[in-house]
Amino acid sequence: MPRLLAQIAAVTAINVKSMPQRAWLSASTVVAVALVVAVLLSFLAMANGFEQTLRGTGSPEVAVLLRGGAGVEINSSISRDQVRLVEEAPGIARGADGRPLVSAELYVTVDGRKRAGGSKANVTLRGMGPEGAAIRPGFRIVGGRMAQPGSAELMVGQSLVREFAGFDLGSRVRIANADWTVVGVFDMGGSVFESELWADIATVQSLFRRTNVFQSIRVRLDAPDRLPALRAYLDADPRLKLDAKSEVAYFADQASSTITLIRFLGWPLAIAMAVGALAGALNTMYSAVAARAQEIATLRCLGFGGIPSFVGTLIESLLLALLGGLLGAAVTWAAFDGVTASTLGSGFTQVVFAFRLSPVLVFQGVVLALVVGLLGGLFPAWRAAHVPIVRAYGNG
Amino acid sequence: MNDFTLVRANLFRRKLRAMLMIVAIFIAFLIFGVLASFERAFSSGETTAAANRLVVNNKINFTQPLPLAYLGRVRGVEGVRLASHFSWFGGYYQEPRNFLIAFAVEPDSYLDIYRDDLRVTAEERARFLADQGSLLVGDVVAAKYGWKIGDRIPLSSNIWTNSSTGGRRWDFTIAGILRPGKPQSDTNLVVFHYDYLNETRGVARDSIGVVVLETVDAAVNETVAARIDSLFANSFAETETVTEAAFNKQFAAQFGNIALIVGLVVGAAFVTILMIVGNTMVMAIRERTREVAVLKTLGFPSPRIFRLVLGESLLLAFLGGIPGLLAAAAALAALRPLLAGFAPGLALAPPVALTGVGLMLLLGLATGALPALNALRLNIVTGLGRD
Repeated sequence: MPRLLAQIAAVTAINVKSMPQRAWLSASTVVAVALVVAVLLSFLAMANGFEQTLRGTGSPEVAVLLRGGAGVEINSSISRDQVRLVEEAPGIARGADGRPLVSAELYVTVDGRKRAGGSKANVTLRGMGPEGAAIRPGFRIVGGRMAQPGSAELMVGQSLVREFAGFDLGSRVRIANADWTVVGVFDMGGSVFESELWADIATVQSLFRRTNVFQSIRVRLDAPDRLPALRAYLDADPRLKLDAKSEVAYFADQASSTITLIRFLGWPLAIAMAVGALAGALNTMYSAVAARAQEIATLRCLGFGGIPSFVGTLIESLLLALLGGLLGAAVTWAAFDGVTASTLGSGFTQVVFAFRLSPVLVFQGVVLALVVGLLGGLFPAWRAAHVPIVRAYGNG
Repeated sequence: MNDFTLVRANLFRRKLRAMLMIVAIFIAFLIFGVLASFERAFSSGETTAAANRLVVNNKINFTQPLPLAYLGRVRGVEGVRLASHFSWFGGYYQEPRNFLIAFAVEPDSYLDIYRDDLRVTAEERARFLADQGSLLVGDVVAAKYGWKIGDRIPLSSNIWTNSSTGGRRWDFTIAGILRPGKPQSDTNLVVFHYDYLNETRGVARDSIGVVVLETVDAAVNETVAARIDSLFANSFAETETVTEAAFNKQFAAQFGNIALIVGLVVGAAFVTILMIVGNTMVMAIRERTREVAVLKTLGFPSPRIFRLVLGESLLLAFLGGIPGLLAAAAALAALRPLLAGFAPGLALAPPVALTGVGLMLLLGLATGALPALNALRLNIVTGLGRD
């Protein structure tokens, strides 16, 4: 056994040292595998980043109330009377002034222009009172100040500022026949809210002619387990046909379809490309074996068995693939990790997210690379182990 | 023995190697054919839009409503031949996950404006116009749910409440099936009478989604758009009038830069095969250095040898590329029903196929150029000396 291992080590060393002789061909395999892995990881990083943004949005201590069956805020509609009734509900935390922490909000869609390419896209304009910021854990002003109630002032999320033009601090924006001023930029931990414009509820209601109409109510719960009490209260009152969900569950439900779509695009593409790269890897390894036919035959004459040749060739192939996989991961990381993009969320407005490469994804990419390396090395390795000694010399 | 026989024999001298190259090229063109066609169908709204069709939407955003009264005023604008309107219903069948693209429309004018895209028989049209509670169903939708003319179908809205019942359900009778007028027409929709919705939803009375209109000629589009927008300037609901193509393009762009993604993936696939095939061709010709020298000794002129080598790489590109495009066409045919709502008329379009052939030519030339040049410049004495 030790002798076999020593033989394998010797053959592998010879193979690896002879790689530079086929530098271009070996490099082309590495690059081919790297590109396959880069394509896969780009898609997976996109899905992962989008998922992190949605799953990172919402607090278990906040409940979202929508009109029954509306599903998402944009479809919902809630009256002022309903808001008053909800303020009486059990399970709701109170602020320092003793008032219940209830934020009735209006969600309208306005146009924004993407910085990249300048195309128009839907942006959320959320009208809310001062409670809106108070009930949201993690809210932090990073530039400027809060908007004044009753004014045409905007606060913008920092993801939105990065992705859309014209919303920088101090900018004037024309929306719904009014001139708005951006007075504050806020951070909410990269969540969906950071893709939004926030303004005073009364101003939004009057400019959009939706006086006394709201679309969602957010309440801060005493504790996350108080949601059933709130639900029981809503169910008991026929005037309150509202669905209550924890904010975490609300956003998690929105995540799935887009993420599934991106993953379903990424894997088949990567596998198809992997088949192409496999053809390249096989070609490289067959050439390597052919080029080494004499060496292998010599080793066999010296008493080396077939197994060292087999394993040595396989290791060479796996090494090339591993190199390609790591290179592909590095390229994806350098080119895409942290790059922001935006797409339509289920509220029919843009959600800004960043590509996020994670160790788990890199592992998946490297596994795909190694599969290519394994399959690409197996058949050539078999041939290496069975080179007829006489023919190998005859070819020279 | 002509040159083609020589090229073919050279290429398949190492059968396994040739087959591997062909597989790699095949995959790249399969990816190209599928993705480029998908991108084309996805953005088909842009290319299939009628040149003289304009969309009037609320300047704030197209999801904001317009007053119904705007329709009459748009009709009065010089240069407008036809105008209609449609409103998003937020429809679903039985359960929210059976989501439908449903519009409340002004029936007569809507079918007139979309006469080239949505086909209904005269009988179905008459039945639809006569009954305010009737529904026209796109063939894609009818096939999905197994609906037939005459069926009573309840549709629900996730936006509106039916004030006559207090629920979210409206009942319809299917009056006819909308069939595509052009291969890329999108028939994944249902349409019904706006009046039916307007009279029963209780709120948002007399508000509509967008006005769609046809100008007398595409040349006057800009003037007409400017006239309409100035008509409503400084009113509560200011408008923005754009061509249907621009409207569709902006809508598609909301999902993301699909063209860029497709470009990057196809680019990666092509760089891969360029590397693999290019290197292999250089290697294959180098292995045959002595033979090239022999050909030259026999009196083959250098340009002919150049053409022989280039012919070999071109043959390789086409042997992989053409089946790749054919496989793409088959894959698209299989995907077509699955993606009917997302990318209507998914098929390998002639422009995509032509681009593909162009790419095969480029690939063949790019991978063959260096080895062909090497063969061209080869000195007979060194060539024969090399082993």
